[in-house]
Amino acid sequence: MTVAVDTEVNLGGITLRNPVLTASGTFGYGSEFAPFFALDRIGGIVAKSLTLEPRSGNLPPRIAETPAGMLNAIGLENVGVDAFLAEKLPLLPEGLPVLASVFETDIDRYAEVCKRLSGAPKLAGLEINASCPHVKSGGIEFGQRVELLARLVRETRRASSLPLFIKLSPNVTDIREMARACEAEGADGISLINTLQALDVDLATRRPALRNGLGGLSGPAIRPVALRMVWQASQAVKIPVCGIGGIMTGEDAVKFLVCGATAVQVGTANYLNPMAAVEVADGIERYAAAHGFARVSELVGTLRPYASSR
Amino acid sequence: MSASPSPPAIRVDAEVRANQEEGAENRRLRLGVPGWPGSAPGQFAMLSPGSRGAAERYDPLLPRPMAVYRTVPEAGGAELEILYKLSGRGTRLLADARPGATVRVVGPLGVGFPLPQLGQRALLVGGGTGIASLYELAAAAQARGPVVVLLGARSAADLMGRADFVALGVDLRVATEDGSEGTPGRVTELLETALAAPDAGGEIVYACGPTPMMRRAAEIAARRECRCLVSLENRMACGFGVCLGCAVPRTEGGFALVCRDGPVLDAGSVRWEEAS
Ligand SMILES: Cc1cc2nc3c(=O)[nH]c(=O)nc-3n(C[C@H](O)[C@H](O)[C@H](O)COP(=O)(O)O)c2cc1C
Ligand code: FES
Repeated sequence: MTVAVDTEVNLGGITLRNPVLTASGTFGYGSEFAPFFALDRIGGIVAKSLTLEPRSGNLPPRIAETPAGMLNAIGLENVGVDAFLAEKLPLLPEGLPVLASVFETDIDRYAEVCKRLSGAPKLAGLEINASCPHVKSGGIEFGQRVELLARLVRETRRASSLPLFIKLSPNVTDIREMARACEAEGADGISLINTLQALDVDLATRRPALRNGLGGLSGPAIRPVALRMVWQASQAVKIPVCGIGGIMTGEDAVKFLVCGATAVQVGTANYLNPMAAVEVADGIERYAAAHGFARVSELVGTLRPYASSR
Repeated sequence: MSASPSPPAIRVDAEVRANQEEGAENRRLRLGVPGWPGSAPGQFAMLSPGSRGAAERYDPLLPRPMAVYRTVPEAGGAELEILYKLSGRGTRLLADARPGATVRVVGPLGVGFPLPQLGQRALLVGGGTGIASLYELAAAAQARGPVVVLLGARSAADLMGRADFVALGVDLRVATEDGSEGTPGRVTELLETALAAPDAGGEIVYACGPTPMMRRAAEIAARRECRCLVSLENRMACGFGVCLGCAVPRTEGGFALVCRDGPVLDAGSVRWEEAS
C-alpha cells in the first residue's frame, strides 16, 4: 500500500473513522467483542434492538443453518432500554459512535423508548427497526405499509433530536417508496436490509425448522438482494444509506458503497468470525488504495453503466 | 466448589496435525493452536466447518461447537484434541481436513464443570459424542476423590475415548445398546445401578449426551438426592453470547444461554420439556 487512504465518512451527521458499523442483534451490546479486538478500530456499533421493558424471547429452536445463510427467530429478547442505559452503554469506550436500535409493537411505545434514549451522553444516534410486527395492524411489519412507516418516522422524529436512521424491511414490493417516506418525514438516513422472511423444514419431524415457524434469513445468501435494494433506495433519496446484508469481506462492503451506500453494517459474519468487522474495514481500505482512491467516500455511488451500443 | 474463571477467548487459525478414525463414525482431530490460553474441564470451542482453503467458503456457514476433549500445553500454545462424530455436512467437511490444513478456532468458551468436593465420589455419565466433554473432568476429579465413568453408545464401534479413560485408571463401566461391549442396554441403567449400591450416597453426577439421556440421568440423580450437572449440546451460531440462538428455558423463567451461562448447567435449572 503506497498512498494513505482517508477512511472517514459522514453518516447523516455522525463522523465515522471508517464506514464499518456492526448490525443490530449481531454484536450484542458491544463489550462481548472486547476480547477479540479494540472496538475503536471500527466505525461504530449498532446495539441489539431495545424495547421499553426487558423481554425474553421465543422457545427453541431459534436458529437454523440454510445454504450460505441462516434463519433466526429470536423474538425480541433484550435487556430493556433502562438496563441498556444503566449497565451496557457505560461499558463501551469513549469516542466510539454507538447507535441504539429501537423496536416495539406500537408507535407510542417506539416514541417512548426514543425519548428515554435521547438524554444519554454516549449515544451517537438512533436506528428504528421497522421490521417488527405492529400489533394493532394484525402483525403486519411497520416497514411493510407506507402510511404506517411514515407515522412511525414522524413520531420517533418528534421524540428525539438525535440523528435518526430508519432500518427498512426488505419484505416489500417497492423499497423506493419506503425510502422516500422516511426522507419526507425527516429521517437522517436509512439502513437496509433487515432479514428476509423465510421458512425451512425439519424433515425428521416435518415441522418448521424454527419453533416460531417463519424466521429471518441473513448471511451471504441475501447479499445480491440487499445490493439491489440499496442501489434502488439510494437512487430514490438524498439522505445517506447504510448498506446491510451478507457482508463477509471488504470487497463485499465495497460493492455496497459502489451501489450508493455511505456506510455498511456487518451482521452474521460476526458470529463465524468475531474479527470480521475489523477485517472488512481493512479490506475496504486495501481496495481503495489498490484502485487509486484517496478517500473511501469517493467510492460511494460509483456504479458504472455499460456503454450504450447500437 | 464452582467452576474456575475462564481466560478470555481468542480467535486463531489452528493447524491440523492429525484427523484419524476413532471407530465407525467418529474422528479424533489434533490441532496445534498458537496462543491457546488454557481451558477448564467442560469448556468448548467453535470450529470452522472444514478447513479454510485458498478461497473462503460460506456454505455451510456456521462454525460448530465442539467440546475440548483434551489439551496438552506446549511452547506458545497448546495441542487441542477434539473427538467428533460425522453427523452432517459440517463434520464431514471437517473430516476431509488433512494434516497441514487450517481450521479456525474460537475459544475457550462457556462455563465448565464445578469440581467435586474433596473426597466426594464423582459419577460421570457420557453418551455418544457427550463423552468428549468428560475426559478432562475425569482427570481433574481424580485429584479430589474416587471417579466412576459410565459410557454408553449404540455399539462398541461407536464408543469414543474408551482407551483414554482406561489409561486414566478410573472405574470405567460401559453399556452398549446392542450388547457388543459391556452391559447391554442404556448408560442411564448403569447410573441407576451405581446409585442403588449399598455404599452409595452423596455423589455428584455429571451427564453429557443426547437430551433424553441427560433428562433421565437428572431424574435418577434427583431421586437419590445427588447434585446433577449436565452439559448441553445446542445449536449455536456464535458461541459467545451475542446471537441468542442457543437459549434454553429455565425452570425459574426466562432463558439461559447454553454458550455463555453453560454449556454446563444444574440439571434442575433446565425446563426439560421445552428444551427442544
Ligand atoms: C440472530 C439475529 C438477530 C438479529 N437481531 C436484530 C435486531 O435485534 N434488530 C435489528 O434491527 N436487526 C436484527 N438482525 C438483522 C441484522 O441486523 C441484519 O440486518 C441482517 O442479519 C442482515 O445482515 P447480515 O446478512 O450481514 O447478517 C438480526 C439478525 C440475526 C441473524
Ligand atoms: S450461540 Fe450465540 S448466543 Fe449462544
